[in-house]
Parts: sequence; structure tokens; C-alpha cells
Amino acid sequence: MVFLPDESRSLPPPPLLNKGTVWLGFAGWMSALLDNAFNQRPVLGAGIHRQVLFASLGCFVGYHLLKRAEYKYAKVDRELCDYIRHHPEDFRPSTG
Amino acid sequence: MAAGLRAVRRWGLVVAPPSLAFTRSAFVVKKANNAQPNWLGVGLAFGTSAALWALLIKQHNEDVTEYERRARAHKCRQCS
Repeated sequence: MVFLPDESRSLPPPPLLNKGTVWLGFAGWMSALLDNAFNQRPVLGAGIHRQVLFASLGCFVGYHLLKRAEYKYAKVDRELCDYIRHHPEDFRPSTG
Repeated sequence: MAAGLRAVRRWGLVVAPPSLAFTRSAFVVKKANNAQPNWLGVGLAFGTSAALWALLIKQHNEDVTEYERRARAHKCRQCS
């Protein structure tokens, strides 16, 4: 199963700063801080390279996950609209 | 995980592990030295981060270009 089908590229790509990037980047940064805490290092000041790496990894994964999520939502919307278009008799505005 | 265990032991909730004869954990053998930077690790981490950002920005630009190309080619007539 493909992670991102080709037709997903017809969707407008999300901006680089989006909920997936921000949230997972923040989660990655937090896990670096947690690693500092568990290893009895200064929480914010130690292991900057680790914080940067984990945050970058989170942003990267978040971006691709968000693209896949948007593709899934768009696919459902398309199927819904196609159904409505093919069954107009079920969607007439009520006259009575 | 070993560091968390160390912390729990400091609080007196878990007893210290027995001598090396009874344990086979690698964490007992190694002692991390946080005073001297592991420059190889630091370099690898920053290098990997830079590579990840480069990949991400490149992918994003490709996505934007491809979307605009398809939008120009398709010239949507009827969307729902």
C-alpha cells in the first residue's frame, strides 16, 4: 500500500508550518527534553544537537503524515460529492 | 530506561541491583560521560538534522510546483 498515491499531488500542499509539523516537532523536542531529565542532565541547556534532531524528525514525519491525512479527507469528500451528484433524487430540497 | 531506574532508586522505592556477578545488563558496565562532548555524535546529529530539513524543503517545493502544474493543465471545469 502506497503512503501517498500519485493523485494526492493534485491537492494543494500544506504550508511548511502546519499542525502536523508544529505538533510533532514540539513532541520530538519534548522527548529530547525528557531524555535530558531522565539522564540527569540540565533539561533545556544540554544536548542541543539532540533537541534539534528530534524536533527536525518530528517536523519531517508530521509534514508527511499531514499530507496523507489531507489526502484521505479529500478522497472521502470526493466520494461523497460523487454520490450526491449521481443520486440527485435523494437530495432534492424539500418542497412541502 | 536505566537512568529512570536510577532516579527511582534514589527515591528509595527500588533497591540497588546486586553485584556484577548476578546481573548481565550492559547498562551496569557502561558509564556515560556527559562532561566531554561526543563530537562525532554531535556532528552526526546536526548533519542529519540539516539533511532532514533540506529534504523537507525540497519535497515541499516539489509539491507546490507539481500542484501548480496540474492546476494549470487541468483548468477545473466542474468541481463539487
